[in-house]
Amino acid sequence: MGKQMTEMLKGTLEGIVLAILSAQPAYGYEITAWLREQGFTDIAEGTIYALLVRVEQRGFVDVEKVPSEKGPPRKVYSLNARGREYLEEFWTTWSFLATRLEQLHEGSR
Amino acid sequence: MMSIARMIGEKRRYWRYKARVKRLPPEYRTVVEAIEHYLLYAGMIANGEIMGVMLEDLADLFEQSAADGIPVRDIVGDDPVEFADTFLKNYADGQWIDRERKRLTDAIDRAASAQSRPQPQPQLQDGDGHP
Repeated sequence: MGKQMTEMLKGTLEGIVLAILSAQPAYGYEITAWLREQGFTDIAEGTIYALLVRVEQRGFVDVEKVPSEKGPPRKVYSLNARGREYLEEFWTTWSFLATRLEQLHEGSR
Repeated sequence: MMSIARMIGEKRRYWRYKARVKRLPPEYRTVVEAIEHYLLYAGMIANGEIMGVMLEDLADLFEQSAADGIPVRDIVGDDPVEFADTFLKNYADGQWIDRERKRLTDAIDRAASAQSRPQPQPQLQDGDGHP
């Protein structure tokens, strides 16, 4: 992935993470692994972690500490009602943006 | 002014964080220390409580990643500065510069709301300069 992809993802990664969590609760590593499988190969573990800290601060997720076999307890994140509301808003914004960009794209062909 | 008790509390918290970092495998420790150095310089965090939370979050990330066997490159990515800046953003309200951000926002708010109030109509003046 190039620099352009990194820049574009900056504004959308938070929504992507919330969308992943809307399917099922997960911890950081699972989210990164899923994104890598989907082709987002350059995403740093730490970037996803920073976003999870952010959505926790904003009250969009509930966090549960689950004991793990190796190392410290894992923080498992699940989307709460406020997060669901925010995700709805994210998809509305995304649809607007995608439609307008597609129109621009069509127009420039 | 900061009380002595609070200062001691913050010091203790910092030492606890340092002890956690010391227990990490060598490469992870090196990386955490380098990131901490950058965060302290780039961050200028003036709020001790927020600084404590930030460093503990950093330690959490590296303890968990070390336990999961994630290589340090995969934790910080190809652009460590990008990562560190993203991470730092979560603690922006503890930054020294935050006071100036508020000052800037407030100054513009005041000017903008003064402008949106109905302006008194300028009085028409006659030729000799008297209203």
